[in-house]
Amino acid sequence: MPIHEKSLIRPENLRTHEKLTIDGVDVSGHWSTFIESRVITDYNEALEAEIAALPGGENIHRCWQCGSCTNSCTVNAIEPRFNPRYWIYLIRMGLESELLRDKDIIWQCVSCHKCTYACPRDVVPEGVMKATAHWLEMKGHTATSPSMHFDREFTEQVVARGRIEDVEVLRGFFKRTRQPLMQDWLVEIAWRIAKRLPVKWGLKSAFSLLRKPRTRGWAKARRAIEDYIHAQEEEHEKALHIGKPQSRPRAANENAPVSRPSAAE
Amino acid sequence: MSKPILIVGGGPAGLAAAHALGSIGQKTVLVEKADRLGGAPILTGYAKLVPSGQWAKDAIGGMVARVEANPAVTVRKSAIVKTFSGQPGAFTATLSDGAIIEASAAILTTGFTHFDSVNKPEWGFGTFPDVVTTSQVEQMISSGRGVRCPSDGRKPKRVAILLCVGSRDRQIGREWCSKICCTVSANMAMEIREELPDCHVYIYYMDIRTFGLYESDYYWKSQEEFKVKYIKARIAEVTSDGKQLIVKGEDTLVKRPITIPFDMVVHAIGMDPNVDNMTLSAVFGVDLHRHGYIARKDAYGAMGATSRTGVFVAGAAAGPETIDDSIAQAHAAAMSALAAGRNQILQAAE
Ligand SMILES: Cc1cc2nc3c(=O)[nH]c(=O)nc-3n(C[C@H](O)[C@H](O)[C@H](O)COP(=O)(O)OP(=O)(O)OC[C@H]3O[C@@H](n4cnc5c(N)ncnc54)[C@H](O)[C@@H]3O)c2cc1C
Ligand code: SF4
Ligand code: SF4
Ligand code: SF4
Repeated sequence: MPIHEKSLIRPENLRTHEKLTIDGVDVSGHWSTFIESRVITDYNEALEAEIAALPGGENIHRCWQCGSCTNSCTVNAIEPRFNPRYWIYLIRMGLESELLRDKDIIWQCVSCHKCTYACPRDVVPEGVMKATAHWLEMKGHTATSPSMHFDREFTEQVVARGRIEDVEVLRGFFKRTRQPLMQDWLVEIAWRIAKRLPVKWGLKSAFSLLRKPRTRGWAKARRAIEDYIHAQEEEHEKALHIGKPQSRPRAANENAPVSRPSAAE
Repeated sequence: MSKPILIVGGGPAGLAAAHALGSIGQKTVLVEKADRLGGAPILTGYAKLVPSGQWAKDAIGGMVARVEANPAVTVRKSAIVKTFSGQPGAFTATLSDGAIIEASAAILTTGFTHFDSVNKPEWGFGTFPDVVTTSQVEQMISSGRGVRCPSDGRKPKRVAILLCVGSRDRQIGREWCSKICCTVSANMAMEIREELPDCHVYIYYMDIRTFGLYESDYYWKSQEEFKVKYIKARIAEVTSDGKQLIVKGEDTLVKRPITIPFDMVVHAIGMDPNVDNMTLSAVFGVDLHRHGYIARKDAYGAMGATSRTGVFVAGAAAGPETIDDSIAQAHAAAMSALAAGRNQILQAAE
């Protein structure tokens, strides 16, 4: 439901008592239905600072709530609950519990950047969506998303060897997301490609898969990149007040189920 | 040379008119009710002005010094005009101090009166000491004391600025926008953040009217560089839980009621018509606008003309106005008055 059509009374805010007597009057059942207050009783200034500390979130404080991002959004067109304007507001006011209600939708941003080009204040809402998804994951509110798994597999290969092997990226991705490698559609693609590919190429990629070649002289670059990544990670964890034990959310979440689109909800 | 031109009110507009006429050798008599020249920025004690960033005491103080040193200007402080008669080229005014002035024309630069927040009791002014007005915060800054809660002198950690206090409100008969308070509030929010970086400033608005170039220099800058937060809500009530102020209203963007604790609440007060306008209208025989300001005769005729030929108006006397526009209007009215004193009517757009 788009937020402007949202019911003011949420089912979970209804409180009904099976047995209740007030001042001698029996108000059991429907008569004792109370609605929990929707009043916002405080702002939490820390939430905006946390999102702003993550890459993409830097300009969140510029937002003036015009709604251009939501209006132009690809995902909003098919999932009306996907509302960047609204989440930006929740973050700015520090309404964390409200934000968490939408934690399984936020990461669905497809990074098309339509919002980036529509935003009159250069907030870069796409970046804010990315930062927010990142924040949700770092705080342990969501499991690692499939695209995040993919990015990590890709990045780790690049960092390790200065290059990737397509097949290995796919294999790693399926492993991380606990999917079988032998998927019908994939086998079909591989088969069709193999039929048309010169034999020489097939041999070359099989060889690469086994030998895992590196970019020449990569070691130095690798150290520099790793240092940078670690420095960044530490900075982000500090900004989010996350202690060391939680500092490898990847490992911690490895066994968690992978979140999937929930359009049917 | 003809008779002097009478200028009533020694604020930015009156000072500008006296200076403009004095600089071409035209004699003027500047009548000011208060015991000092300078108008609202000096009498109230504003801090740094929009858009120059200069301290009011320097910028407007400079105008005062210039006028007081001008031999063509006769200044009469602590005086008002009691009677005014005659026609263009030959007016006679009597002052409260007994002086009689022959004048060829007159310019009313009598300015405005600050809205008195006591007239909106639901917003807590006069009940809770930490509810203050923009005028008071200007004074805290210009005096060098800094922004402090009046109740106990502590530095506020969270400040709310409520816009449109005494403007845009039919309940209290004020159907105008005071034009400058959005920009003044954005400027003030930045000054607070500058002095107290740990203090969060929230501005509650219905619309943000930082017109023209003030958009980027005040509204955007306050958000982008100073992280001032803007919330679309017209506050219903300011109360207290005994420790802090509680601001109640509806956050219209998330459709949720709010009751938020604050250390200090600032009313961005509007510019009422001068409380003297009924008297001024009777003495000078000029019509008032239906909201109580001195009415302009038309938009494109003689600049600053009122319903009475030979009597002109400029600045906040004719409606909410900024200092720079008050000054520009005063120059235009000075030109009109000069021509009228010579029995010419100078149409601006003929
Ligand atoms: C809180 C606040 C902050 C502001 N900050 C800014 C700012 O930063 N920048 C800006 O451009 N504008 C600002 N303004 C607006 C600014 O105050 C006005 O634009 C300006 O004062 C108008 O000048 P004026 O000469 O027309 O009137 P006034 O400044 O009101 O001067 C009128 C003069 O006439 C005198 N007078 C009144 N009645 C009589 C009478 N019957 N006989 C004789 N004399 C009389 C008064 O004593 C006064 O000296 C602010 C306004 C407010 C309320
Ligand atoms: S980048 Fe994300 S938030 Fe922006 S328009 Fe595309 S899907 Fe919507
Ligand atoms: S388009 Fe930009 S300014 Fe408008 S609501 Fe979206 S992020 Fe905010
Ligand atoms: S300038 Fe802004 S605060 Fe002042 S009356 Fe107009 S809208 Fe309200």
